[in-house]
Amino acid sequence: MIVCVAVVGHQNNPLYIQSFTEADDALKLHHIVHCSLDVIDERVNNPKKSGPLLNETFLGLLYPTENYKVYGYLTNTKVKFILVTTDLDVKDADVRNFFRRFHAAYGDAVSNPFHVPGKKITSRTFAESVSTIVKAFGLSSAG
Amino acid sequence: MGREVSESCIDSLVTEMVFSFCNRFYADKSDLAARRIEAIGYQVGHQLSERYTMERPRFSDHLEAIKFICKDFWSEVFKKQIDNLKTNHRGTFVLQDNRFRWLSRMSVEPSLETGQEGENKATEAMSMHLYFPCGIIRGALSNLGIPCAVSADISNLPACSFVIRIKA
Repeated sequence: MIVCVAVVGHQNNPLYIQSFTEADDALKLHHIVHCSLDVIDERVNNPKKSGPLLNETFLGLLYPTENYKVYGYLTNTKVKFILVTTDLDVKDADVRNFFRRFHAAYGDAVSNPFHVPGKKITSRTFAESVSTIVKAFGLSSAG
Repeated sequence: MGREVSESCIDSLVTEMVFSFCNRFYADKSDLAARRIEAIGYQVGHQLSERYTMERPRFSDHLEAIKFICKDFWSEVFKKQIDNLKTNHRGTFVLQDNRFRWLSRMSVEPSLETGQEGENKATEAMSMHLYFPCGIIRGALSNLGIPCAVSADISNLPACSFVIRIKA
């Protein structure tokens, strides 16, 4: 199950962060997202260490914690997507698929003429499509 | 895939936008009008670049990003690629389009064809139409993390070239 997704701008400014848990652990999840920003910076600046293809948008597993796995994605426009999940046996293909759909939703959101670039995404349509994508991820990895 | 739009609608819209800004909102203040039109282009380019760079690896240097503008971006927007790309390898790039779509149906008013003054007027009127594509290029590149200045000049209709100067 995905517990948190985040969109972070190129100056590491949060554009969108949403947790999907019942419990009151938003702060903890935000902290995990915050920590992962450093890992992304490290991956991007020292591309030797990263296993997958050079300059791929999908950054792979950033770091596993005891209860969570954190995945990252960096677009061409230097916007970071971060995914925190509680599933410990996740297929890479599922995560890639998730990020592809998420990127499409993000593209739609920033093409909204009322969206101000660099400001938080407040669109309700974006929130809805994100939660649809998040739910779909749960189904595909369970099956 | 992407949705399609009528080309004649876009042509009319661009022409009307340029006309409105030059002759109604900012009549006699052509530099202000130019800046407004460029700003609209900037926003359009900014949004388009997000969409068109989806599912492709990140660019490692400026040249790769400029090549993307010349090939994929230009094909998406104008259904053709840039015909010639020149660079001095110090941050200046010249993109030449031998048949720029938004100028291909433009002609000079016969009364202006003679005389130096008329020629200047015609060039000025045409150059107003190039602020919008300049803004598109600048918006796309700055969204890719490359701040730059873009200008255009018309050599002979319908060819035109865009000069990109990357800010260090």
